[in-house]
Amino acid sequence: MLIDKKRVKRNKSLDKFFHGFFMAMAILSASFIVIIVLFVFTKGISPFLPGYEYGQVNLFDFLTGSTYRQDQGVYGVGFIIINTLVCSFLALLISFPISILTALFIAKVAPKKLGNTMQSIVELLASVPSVVYGVFASGVITVGVRMIAESLGISTFGGSSMLAVIILLAIMIFPTLTSMATTAIRAVDKDLEQASLALGATKTQTNFKIVLTAAKSGIFAGAILGLGRAFGEATAVAMVAGNKLFGPTFNPFDITRTLTSTMLVGLKETTGLDYDIRFSVGLVLIAVIFFSNFILNMVKKRIGRNL
Amino acid sequence: MKTCFSIKNLNLYYGEKQALKNINMEILENNVTAFIGPSGCGKSTFIRCLNRMNDLIEDCKVEGEVIKDGQNIYSSKQDIVDLRTRVGMVFQKPNPFPMSIYDNIAYGPRCQGLKDRKKLDEIVITSLKQVALYDEVADRLHESAMGLSGGQQQRLCIARCIAMSPEVILMDEPTSALDPISTSKIEDLVLELKKDYTIVIVTHNMQQAARISDYTAFFLLGEVIEMDKTDKIFSTPSDKRTENYITGRFG
Repeated sequence: MLIDKKRVKRNKSLDKFFHGFFMAMAILSASFIVIIVLFVFTKGISPFLPGYEYGQVNLFDFLTGSTYRQDQGVYGVGFIIINTLVCSFLALLISFPISILTALFIAKVAPKKLGNTMQSIVELLASVPSVVYGVFASGVITVGVRMIAESLGISTFGGSSMLAVIILLAIMIFPTLTSMATTAIRAVDKDLEQASLALGATKTQTNFKIVLTAAKSGIFAGAILGLGRAFGEATAVAMVAGNKLFGPTFNPFDITRTLTSTMLVGLKETTGLDYDIRFSVGLVLIAVIFFSNFILNMVKKRIGRNL
Repeated sequence: MKTCFSIKNLNLYYGEKQALKNINMEILENNVTAFIGPSGCGKSTFIRCLNRMNDLIEDCKVEGEVIKDGQNIYSSKQDIVDLRTRVGMVFQKPNPFPMSIYDNIAYGPRCQGLKDRKKLDEIVITSLKQVALYDEVADRLHESAMGLSGGQQQRLCIARCIAMSPEVILMDEPTSALDPISTSKIEDLVLELKKDYTIVIVTHNMQQAARISDYTAFFLLGEVIEMDKTDKIFSTPSDKRTENYITGRFG
């Protein structure tokens, strides 16, 4: 007899066991997210509740304030939100075209060997720890910024500046953008390219008009990921931002302050409200990322409608 | 009748492997020429020699001559872009670009630098009318072409090809991904188009070749076994292998 009834029964119970096992794992990992969010939320919300032990903070002043001074106990993150958005979007603006063209080169233009080597390099860049980018930024980018500023007759705080943050972030999100774009471009149906070439289009016309159009959804997903990284990058940014006490900063050579650098700098040397408020800043950061992702996803849907 | 392509001693290699062996053929203008044969016999490879699509394949080597209008298209003087605007191609799987119906058809002319809106409108409408698609899509020219059915997509691809006003349309199994009704529409279209264009079609379907072609070439293992008027091939083939294939004894 081919079907062994005992075996069928055992397989069934094994199936049930694994079903439960996977479910337990899923719940465990999902609960981490819940625990983290709950912890940050309760801690972050506490300064705004009546009866807070170090003196209640006004939520409205916190969200719209344009000064952040722990020595005076004034905590306003309105300008920091703007700084963070400006730095991240400008970094994306610089990095986006460069990474798309690089991805196009890797996937379509370069000979296979060179393309693969370039891709490995890009992937290697993605795995460089952010603190290494940070020392590079404070040792090289700031020096460059200072030189540019001096040649224009502007004095800087040793090169620490908004411009340095933007350049640093542009470099840091470049690997994410490029590898996502490369994957998206490689995934474009070869038939489309052939159809374009068969219509007498040149390779360049095909790459720009067909390949990029067909890959735009994936490229845009990369931009969203990259922007997420730009928003969330703390260590390296804190090393060159300069943590300005008021703002917002729109002068590229002036020092700036981002949500992440605010949370990070001096975290271990402080207590009380100044410590707790960092959790509130974290909540704001989560909200900012959430909202910008939401908006970008709407844009993405619009752009990708023809697909 | 004038000759459109004159192929002389054509050999094609993929690396070490020879895929086409010593092919000699005349393809006549304003006729439908069909290539039949079992899978892997080289018929698709051969049709791609006629607009140099094989150039895209690495380590593909072509020897011999394909003469069109007195010039060997494999000579170094041949401009490939110019060749492909004159020799259009429709592929096995409908492959509209992920853009609007209008932009799909305007793509080729735009790539050649045509920007005049009026002229583009005219080209789009006449091309769509020629493939009998205009009435079906007239009210949604600016909607995505991906929303069309498979058969409509394939007719769109033919229209896209016609928009370049080519001399020749190469069709590589254009109906193999379509249902019978769409297939018969495309077949009617081919018969209609041969008045203005030279058509070369690869097909897996022998009845299709019999229905629509004037000349048929039978390919086997990279060789042309026999080429003749379609009636003759299907009634009194001169080669035993052709007869075996069309009577369904192999393939």
